[in-house]
Formats: sequence, C-alpha cells, structure tokens
Amino acid sequence: MAVDKLILILLALPLLGALVNGTIGKKLPNLLVGGIATGVMLLSFVCALLVFNQTNDTKIIQLFTLLSLDDFAINASLQVDALSIWMTLIVTGVGTLIHVFSIGYMSHDKGFYKFFTYLNLFIFAMLLLILGSNYFVLFFGWEGVGICSYLLIGFHYSDAEKGIANSIAARKAFIMNRIGDAGLLIGLFLILAQFHTLEFTEIAEKIAIDPSLINGSIIGITICLFIAATGKSAQIPLFTWLPDAMAGPTPVSALIHAATMVTAGIYLVVRSNFLFELAPLTKDIILWIGFATSMVAAFIAMRQNDIKKVLAYSTVSQLGLMFVALGMGAYTVAIFHVTTHAFFKALLFLGSGSVIHAMSDEQDIRLMGGLRKKLPITHLTFLIGTLAIAGFPLLSGFYSKDEILGHALEHSPILYGTLMISVALTAAYMFRLYFLVFHGEFRGGATLESHVHESKPIMTMPLVVLAILSVFGGLLNLPGIFLSKGTHWLSHFLNSHTAGLEKIKEAHAEPNTTMALMAVASTMTIIILIWAYNNYAKKKKIALADNELVGWQLWSNSKLYLDELYDLLFVKPIEWLSKTCYAIVEIKVLNQGVFGLANLLGKTGSLIRNWQTGLLSNYLFWMVFGLIGLISYYIIKLQFWNF
Amino acid sequence: MELLILPLILGLVMLILPSGWCKLVGGLGSLASLGIASYHLMGFDPLTQVVMSSSIDKMAFGLTLNFGYDSLGLVMIMLTNAIIPLILLSNWNRELAGNKLFTALVFFMQLGLLGVFTAQDGIMFYIFWEFTLLPIFLILYWFGAKENNKVLFKFFIYTLVGSLAMLLSFIALGINAQSFAYQDLVNVQLSQKMACWVMSGFLLAFAIKIPLFPFHTWQPATYTSSPMAGTMLLSALMLKMALYGMMKWMLPLTSEGIEVMKWPVIILGAIGIVYGAVIAIKQNDIKTLFAFASISHLGLIAAGIMVFNTAAWSGAIIQIINHSLISIGLFLAADILEKRTGTRKLDELGGIAKIAPRFGFWFAAIVFAALSIPFSAGFIGEFILIKELFSFHVLIGILAVSSLILGAVYMLRSYQLSMFGPPKLTSFQDLTWNETAVFVVLSISILIIGLFSTYIIDYTAPAIRVLTAITPTN
Repeated sequence: MAVDKLILILLALPLLGALVNGTIGKKLPNLLVGGIATGVMLLSFVCALLVFNQTNDTKIIQLFTLLSLDDFAINASLQVDALSIWMTLIVTGVGTLIHVFSIGYMSHDKGFYKFFTYLNLFIFAMLLLILGSNYFVLFFGWEGVGICSYLLIGFHYSDAEKGIANSIAARKAFIMNRIGDAGLLIGLFLILAQFHTLEFTEIAEKIAIDPSLINGSIIGITICLFIAATGKSAQIPLFTWLPDAMAGPTPVSALIHAATMVTAGIYLVVRSNFLFELAPLTKDIILWIGFATSMVAAFIAMRQNDIKKVLAYSTVSQLGLMFVALGMGAYTVAIFHVTTHAFFKALLFLGSGSVIHAMSDEQDIRLMGGLRKKLPITHLTFLIGTLAIAGFPLLSGFYSKDEILGHALEHSPILYGTLMISVALTAAYMFRLYFLVFHGEFRGGATLESHVHESKPIMTMPLVVLAILSVFGGLLNLPGIFLSKGTHWLSHFLNSHTAGLEKIKEAHAEPNTTMALMAVASTMTIIILIWAYNNYAKKKKIALADNELVGWQLWSNSKLYLDELYDLLFVKPIEWLSKTCYAIVEIKVLNQGVFGLANLLGKTGSLIRNWQTGLLSNYLFWMVFGLIGLISYYIIKLQFWNF
Repeated sequence: MELLILPLILGLVMLILPSGWCKLVGGLGSLASLGIASYHLMGFDPLTQVVMSSSIDKMAFGLTLNFGYDSLGLVMIMLTNAIIPLILLSNWNRELAGNKLFTALVFFMQLGLLGVFTAQDGIMFYIFWEFTLLPIFLILYWFGAKENNKVLFKFFIYTLVGSLAMLLSFIALGINAQSFAYQDLVNVQLSQKMACWVMSGFLLAFAIKIPLFPFHTWQPATYTSSPMAGTMLLSALMLKMALYGMMKWMLPLTSEGIEVMKWPVIILGAIGIVYGAVIAIKQNDIKTLFAFASISHLGLIAAGIMVFNTAAWSGAIIQIINHSLISIGLFLAADILEKRTGTRKLDELGGIAKIAPRFGFWFAAIVFAALSIPFSAGFIGEFILIKELFSFHVLIGILAVSSLILGAVYMLRSYQLSMFGPPKLTSFQDLTWNETAVFVVLSISILIIGLFSTYIIDYTAPAIRVLTAITPTN
C-alpha cells in the first residue's frame, strides 16, 4: 500500500480504538476492551513497519486546510521521514507492549475501559505530534498529550486516601506543561513573523535560500522552543512535575512518563535542528541545562525510597543526558539514547509495576527485599533493565551512553569528567534499588509476604520482550570497533532521510578512543556494582527512615527542597496577588468607589424625586435624566461647537 | 423581517397561552426561529454586502426604519437563535421552564438581540440595544435572588450610563450626516479629535457591557444573583452585542480615531485578561470564578477587535461563538452543582465525579474547551487573537499568553475541588436527559467549529473586509 494511506491508517487506528472503547466500552467485557485497544496498537505498529520499509525520502501528506487568513495559512498535513517514522516505531512498538501489560495490571480496576480509551487517545495525540509536518499540528499533539497525561495521572481521583493527592499531581503536571506550551506558542508566533510559514521543510528551505533571515530572532525562537522542551521533557526549571506524575497507574508512568511523551522535547529540538544549528548560544544553554538536570536528578534519586520515584528521577536524569547530546549537536545520538531508554525504562517501570502488583500496591522499597525468589521473571528482567541503564558492557544503555560520553570528551574534557559523575550516580542508585528490592530479607511483614506472587504471563511477556530489546538495542548503532561495515546504522538512517540532519556531520570517535572510553565506563560500572552488592546484599544495609537522615542524604531525600522553594517563589506570591487584587482593587477601589458614586447619584435622585408627585421607577427616572442630558448636549453643541 | 416577527409573536403567545403549554410551544418556537436563521444563513451569498429586508426611508428627524444583515450580522443572528433553544433546553427540568412570563421574556430578549444584529440605522440600533435591558432586568428582578436589589441597581445604572454615552455619540454623528442610516453615518468625515470623542461615547457603552476592566464590577454580583437562564442570556448573548457593536458600528463609524484609541483599549483589555484570571485563581464561589474567567476571556476578544485588521476579527468571531457555547456549559454546570448540593462554595464540594460520572465527563469536556485545547474552537480563536496581539506588541502578546497558564490554574482548580477527591455527599443526581443533550450539543459544536473554523472565517471574511477597510484618515 502507498505510504500516505498507511500513515493515515496508523494514525486513525488509535483514535478509532479510543472512540469504540469510549462509547461502548463500559458494556463490553474487559478482555474485549483490552483486546480492541491492544489490537489497534499492534496494527498501527505493523503499518509503521510497512512505512518504515518504504521510507527513503521526506514525504508530505496534505490533508486539509485548518486555517486560512490573509497573511498565513495552516494546513493539516503530515510528514514522513526517517525521524518521524523512527519515533512512530518506538511509540507504537513500546506502546503495544505496555497495552498488553495493562490488560493484566488494570484487570481489577473499575475504570478499565476508561483507562484504555485514554491510553489510545494518548497514542493518537503522540503520533500527531510526531507526524505533523508543521509546528501547528505538532502543537495540536503537544497539547493533546498533555491533556491525556493529566487524565491518566489523576486516573484514581476518587481514591479515599490518595484521591486528592493524585488530582493535585495531575494539575501540577498540566500547569507546568502549560508553561512550556506558552513558550512553544510564543515560539510559533516568532516563527510566523520571521518566516510566514510553520512548515518544517519550508522554513529549512527559506533559511537555505535567504541568509538574511538568519539573525538575532533565531535565538529568540530557539529559546522559546527549548522552554517548551523543558516543560514536556522535565528539565530544569520545569522538572518537578514528573516525579509527582508517578501518582498515575504504573503502565502510564512507563508509557507516557518514561518512553514516549517526555521525549517529545528531544524530538522537537531534533526536528528543529536547522534552527538550533544557527543558534550556538541556545545550544550552549541546552547543554548546560541538560547537564545540570542530569546531575540534580541523579543526586535526588540516590536517597528516594519509593520505587517509582527513583525511576522517575532517573528518567529526568537520562533526559538531561539526551539534552546534553543535543547541546553538542549530536542529534542522532540523542535519538539513539531515546530509543534505548524507551526499551529499558519501559522495562524498569513495568517491572516495578509487577513488583507493586505483587506487593499489594506497596511502593516503599524499605518494606521489600528478597523478592528475587518469589518473582523470578520480574527479577531477571528487572536486573537486565538495571544493568542496561547502568551502562553494563554490551547492553543497550552502554552503547548509547558511550556515544554521548564520546561526544562530551570531544567537546570538553571537563564536561566528560563531570558527566561521568552523573553516570556513576545512575549506576549507584539503580543498583541500590535493585538490591534493596530483590535481595536480602523481606521486610514487609508476614501478612504482606504471604500475598506476594509472580504476575500473570500477560504481564511478564512484555517484560521479556523489552528485556530482549534492552539487551540487543545497542546493535542499532554499533560503533566502528566491532564491525567494519554497517556500523552506526541508526545515525546513518536518520541522517540521510531527515530534513536538516543530512548537513550535519556527526563525528564518531576514533576506534582507539572509543575503546578507551568503553573500558573506563565498564570498569566504573562494575566497581559500583560490586560496591552495591557488598553494601546492600552482603552487609544487608537497609535504607534509613526519613528522620534518621543527615547531611547530603537529607538533601537528596528531601528533593533539595525544590518543591518548597517553588511554592515560596511562585505559588504563594500568585495566591497572595489573587487575594489582594480581589480584596483591595476589586472590593475596595472599584466596588466601593462605584457605590460611592452611586450613592451620590442616589442622593441627587431623591432630591429631584421630591419634586415628583407619583412613584417613578428608577428606570423611567433615568430615561428622563438621559433625555435632559441629551437636550442640553444638543443645545451646547449647536451653540458653541461648529462642525 | 420574519426573523424579528417570530420572537415577537412567540413572546406574545406565551403570555396568553395556558401555563402547561408554554414549555413545549416555546421550545418548538425557538427551534423554528433557529430553522429560519439557518435558512437565511444558507441562502445568503456572503459576497453580497448588505441584504435589506425592509426599508422605510426618512421618517421624522432623519430616522430610517432599516433592517438587514451582512454575513457578520447573519452569523450573530444564527448564534442568537441557536443559543436561545439551548437556554430553554437547559432550563427544561427547572421550575422556571413552565413559567409563561419567563418564557415570554426570553423571547422578547431574543427580539431585542435580533433587532440589534439587524439594525441598519443608528437610532434603531440604540432602541433595540436599550430594549434588551427590559427583559433581562425583569428576569433578574422577578426570578433572581431576592436580596439582590442593590446588585440590580448597580447593573442598571452602569448599563444606562453607558447607553446614554452611546446615544450622545449617535446624535453627534447624526447631526453631521443629517441621517441615522448606517451608510450615511459611515460616510461622515470626522476630525481625529472629534472621532475620539465619539468613539469614547460608544466605548463607554460597550466597555461596560463587555465588560472591560475596570467597568466590570457589576458583572460578578449580577451573575451570582440571577437565575441560571439570566446568567446565560447575559454572558452568552448580551455581552456579544457589545463586541458586535464595536465591529459593526463603533470602529467603522469613527475609524478616524482608531490610531489614538487603540492603545488605551488594548491595554485595558490586556489588563482585564490578566486581572480576571488572577482573581479567578482564589475564588471560592464557582459562579464568581466563572464570571472573572469570562472577564479574562472577553478582554482578549475586545483587545483583538481593537487591533483592527481582518485576521484579528476572524479570530474574534470564532472566539465570540466559542465563548457563548462555553459559558452556557459552565453556567449550566455551576447551576447543577448549586441546585443539587445547595452550595456554590468550592471548599464544600468535592468527589462528585465518582457519584455522577456522566456529569463529571461532560463538565470536564466543557472545562477543557474553556482551556482552548486542540480540536476545540477556542484553540483556533485564541491562536489567531493572541498572534495578532503579539504582532501588535510583544508585551501585550505575552500578557495574553499568560492567560493560557493562569486559565489552566483556575479552571482545573475549580474542577478538581468540585469533582475530584473522595465523595463528600452520599447522593447526587446525575445529568437529566435535557442537561446531557445541552452538553452534547455544546461539545459537538465546539469540536466541529474547532476543526472547520475555515468555513466561518471564509463566510464572514467579505463583511469583515468591508468593515475593516474603512481606512483611518488623518
């Protein structure tokens, strides 16, 4: 089938699934609901594979005109190129697995059909974001995924204990995302003012043809786009919503808050590479923001005790690494890390979901321990995920991180050195998590222990598939030391079929350097692994209670008090402003001022009313008053004004 | 002409009909007027300028009895005749629905509105503008909260002062033109100074009705003390008269003064956008909250209209329609909450989504539409308006953009506090059929307009081009 038909089908399928489940899902059996939702995802993935097979050039598919005004027109159109189809593969592929997992995970939930409706709707919005051929369609998807994320974070809004907290977390996520969205909107206006179009390809062409378009406003545009990216991809200063977003059901954390939506910011920057390449200043900002985020989040993750919070901060930290890559202009490397991260982070989240399921919804790792015997499949796959993210040799995370580190070394040795700290921290908190959960003694008490059981095959099957991907995902972009031909396949694929990227030659490190870097990184990871094993598995150290923490551990555990700081800096002042405006401007000045005036008029009125004999309504009185005013106006004008 | 006569007849019939009948007849009648409006809408070629349906030239004092419409007026007529059935439908299961006096007043209100949208003569416009005040006043007075005389007084004084100023402006122009016919008034050449004065007169009337900061203080109190249908009439239709008045009358008639008056009005609009939103953030009364939200939304439209170009006006029209639909939905939701729980206070509500899922869903749909999410009409409308304000001045644009964030804060807060969390009540009657129908119609319309806004924009573009092409002379 032709590419444009396939693309439309793959886009329409999730929407169709959402419509069917949303309208009649309540009456259908759970298995059918889950089957429909997963089925459309699988078909979508197959379509994506077929398109992927035929992708050799940028193809624009025009749908219809969304908006046509005097000075600009906006089309609903889609763009198929290497970047968009690769992202589509990740979203639909990983999405399908997570849908399968959810059938098991959500089986006891009353809102089963609603959950799958939202999930499918999210996929539709995400695909729109990725496949749009202009910033406007991208913005459609961009806001759309934010709304689905809101709905899914607050999914259990009526829970007796956590209902309010869940809905507050959802609101926080939405508002912080909206701040980013506002940045994107301003960016769109600036782009329109500068280029009079929002189409990616047209902007790239215009820049190529007319160098006079390259001026200071590019910096403004790119900074606005980056603000948008910090919102969606949880970077400093807008990252605090992501850990709170863990209030959503765990498959949601895996799909939206690890594998797909949060990488939208990276996609946006890669998609706009032709703009960012012209703004070295913005690239530097991205580099350092990404770096700082990666460090801060890794630090906070060191002493979190909620299994999902650790993973959430880890996600923030990994996203930071991707932005570091973007800041260095290594766009395809960032996408490579997006890909491997989607595999192992989805795996880790689903694994944690399996653990939480087994633990009767307990998430505190201080109450876990020794789970490896009871949850063999979850344990093994979680171990693979942990090793992959920690950069254990030859697993997928090892290659993608190594690419970033290689570029960093080339960029500046100091950056490389400090990034290594972040990488080391990642290994440290991940191994800590792994050993605390799966090794040692069970600490949750006998009643809880008797309930612990391995999850059903429908949940473990996706874990196994993701584990396989996490092991072999690195082969997508093998460095030159292993093979003479066919290396860096992903980079070549993206470079050759994505607008803008073909011009950017991403240097790959010399084989010798690569070798050295890999050796250093592997040694470090293995040392940390041994340390963590000694500490948590052999010596059976356990995490301290919150009130026993001191020094850096306290800071890490308290998330650097950033929530409190933001509350003090932003939330409180705006609330104060709102109350003060209402109490002073609205009530005191405007209302009482007006009443003062009205009283004055009223007094005059009653004075005049004394002349009248009958009872006149206020309305009539004022009509008369009006007429008097009019007549006097006439007279004055005729007498004195000459026009 | 039948556009105007039908509501008049319906209103009169309501008065003589037995009470049991007026619900049904009123409903069917309003649908008939919607049908007539659609017929006009379909049959109209937007490229023709103004269709005059009747004309009696030069009555006494240079008055002309002219009615007609261009595509802009026709869209407003359509909006009016579509909103009136929705208001009656929202009211269907409430006490007022069977009240003949009330139903008659709604139709008289419709008559006044249609008169405003079809008037082609300044004095006719003024008369109908004033006429709309009577039914709304009586609705508020007879059917509103009993303790609201002071509120009513304020509302009344405010609007009357404004109208008076507008009348003065009309007279000032009329003297010059020796006529009050629309085209004659447009043709009057004014000095810039004079144009500013005349515009100020119009502006006072419109600013109060929109309402523009700082002329808005009548609004929150009036909204909260009036019955649901009254609030809906006010926010969905009466306020739109003022926006229409700005586009059709004020700016074309006094375009000489636009360059001077642009700035202050746009700044007031921008202040209103932020001010309304900031105050809405901490409101505890859900109706007051929606009232301030409305001030914020309308500030954006008013500022956009003052930018005075075709693109901004296209956005304004989309947003006018969108705001009408949304305010019907929001005030219906607020009324449902108030009627079934006995309170409008957010801190006393909570957890309703769980016990009334249908209401939870549709209320959420309207809240999201109010947040201008993609695929909703507001998305397109706000995008154009904010873009035009942005091109006008970056700072104004940024103020307008901030409403996006603040809007999310107060809208989600109001929804979350009322609907989420563990239920505080044991029972809450879910939506009745008529309420569901209203929400469904609103949501579908918002979705359709969001996707196919081009049709409305193209339809109104010829009229807008004429109205905005009246270039300032100085």
